[in-house]
Amino acid sequence: MLKCIQSMLTVFKHLFKKPVTLEYPEKKLAPPENFRGKPVVKGCIGCTTCVRVCPTGAITMTKEDFKIDLKKCIFCGNCSYYCPKGAIKMSSEYELASQDKNDLELIYRLEMENERGINDR
Amino acid sequence: MSKLKLNLGPQHPSTHGVLRLILELEGERIISCEPDVGYLHRGMEKMAEKLSYIQYLPTVDRIDYLAGFFYSELLCRTVECALGIKLSDRVKAIRVMMLELNRIASHLLWVGAFLMDLGAVSPFFYAFREREQILQYFEKVTGQRMMNNYFIFGGVRRDVFDLEDIEKFLDILPDKIKDYNKIITENPIFRKRTKGKGILSIPTALNGGITGVNLRASGMSLDFRLRDNLYSGFDFRPVVLEEGDSFARYKARVLEIEESAKIVRQAVDYLKRGGDLEQNLINPLTIKLPQGEFESEIEAPRGLACCYIKSTGEKTAYRLKWRTGSYYSVNLLRKLLVGEYLNDAIAIAGSLDIILPEVDK
Repeated sequence: MLKCIQSMLTVFKHLFKKPVTLEYPEKKLAPPENFRGKPVVKGCIGCTTCVRVCPTGAITMTKEDFKIDLKKCIFCGNCSYYCPKGAIKMSSEYELASQDKNDLELIYRLEMENERGINDR
Repeated sequence: MSKLKLNLGPQHPSTHGVLRLILELEGERIISCEPDVGYLHRGMEKMAEKLSYIQYLPTVDRIDYLAGFFYSELLCRTVECALGIKLSDRVKAIRVMMLELNRIASHLLWVGAFLMDLGAVSPFFYAFREREQILQYFEKVTGQRMMNNYFIFGGVRRDVFDLEDIEKFLDILPDKIKDYNKIITENPIFRKRTKGKGILSIPTALNGGITGVNLRASGMSLDFRLRDNLYSGFDFRPVVLEEGDSFARYKARVLEIEESAKIVRQAVDYLKRGGDLEQNLINPLTIKLPQGEFESEIEAPRGLACCYIKSTGEKTAYRLKWRTGSYYSVNLLRKLLVGEYLNDAIAIAGSLDIILPEVDK
C-alpha cells in the first residue's frame, strides 16, 4: 500500500511542472538548420546524379524539365548530399499537405545557356 | 469444457504494429497460440535486388523504425567489409554514440509502450519526454528524427556538434530512472502482473533463436557488442539477470539504458577532444561489390541482427537477407503463451519487445 502511495506521489508531482508539449498549430518548434524538408532546386547543371541516387524515383529529368514528385519523395537527402554543385537544398518547409495533387509536383525549367544550365522558377 | 478460438489482432490497439495471434482458449487459459505475421511486408529484401547500394541505404532505416541506425550501420558495415574500407577512430566514436543513443531511445519507448500494454498511461508520457531529447539531437545533426540516413559507406554524413546537449541529457537521466523505479519497478500492481509470468528458460530461448536482452534476462551472458570491433576500447558490462520472467526483461532493459548511457558518456568524452573527421568515402554511383558472399552482425536493441549479401559483381545485390531479433521473439509466443491466462497474453507479448516492421520486413 505504501509503495502504491509513493508511486502516486511521484505522478502527482508532475501536476505542478510546466508542460513539455506545444499547442501545435498556434506554436511551432523551429526546425534545425540541417532539417530535411521540401527540396528546393537552384543552379542545376543537369548531371543526373540525383536521379541515380534517389531510392524512390521521385526525380525525373528531361531536356527542359527537372521534376521532383513530392508524393514519392521520402526526404532522405541523398540528392542534396551528392549534388556536385549543391543545387538541391533541403529547405525547412515541412507542412506539405495539399488538397491538389498538382501542388506536390515541383517543376523547374532547365534552360541550357552556353554550356552551363541556368534555371529559374 | 468447450474450446474457443480467439483472434487477437491484427488491429488490436495495444499490440505494437499489426500482429495477429490466433489463440485457442479453454475457459480463460490459452492452450495454443499461432502468430500470423506479414501484414507489414514491404519487400525490403527484394528491393535490394532492384536498387543500387546507395539507393537502398535510406530505405533500411525503415526496417526497424525505432532503431534505424542499427540497420544502416549493418548495411554500411557489410559493404565496407566487402570493399575493404577502414573507418577512422572519430567516425567509429560517432557511430557508437549514435547507436547507443538510439538504443536508449528504443528502450525508453519500449518501457512506455509496455506499461501502456498493462494499462498504465502516465509512464508512456514520461518515457516519451526523455526520448524526445534524443530525437531532437538526432534531428539537429542528421536532419530527421527517425529516418536518419546518417551513416554512409566509409563514414558519416557530417560531423557531430552540440555535444553539450547529450551531456545535459545524460546528467538528468539517472534522476529520471529513479522516477521510473518509483512509479513502475516498485509498484505492487506492476510486480504482480509481471513477476513469474512468461518464464523463458535458456534452452527454450536458444532453440528459438532468441538473442539480446530477452536472452540476457534469462541468465545467459551473450552480448555481441563484446566481440564487436566498433565497441573495442569502450568499457561496459552486459546486463545479466537470472529470473527470465517479464519483470526480469523489464528490469534488464532499464539497466541497459544505464549501461548504454555509460558508453555514450565515453564516446562524448572522446569526441570532445576534437580532431578532424577523416572519412574514406567512395563514389556512390560506381559501388560494385566483388563477387562472393558477405555477412556482418550487430547487437540491435531487439537481439542479434545480421545482414547477408550475395553479390555477382553487379551494381545491385544478387540476394540480400536480414536477420532480425523480433522475428524469433514472435515465434517464441507459440511456446510462451501456452498455459497462461488470456489477460497475461498482451503483457507477455509486450515484454518480448516485438516490433512488427522488423518481423515482416
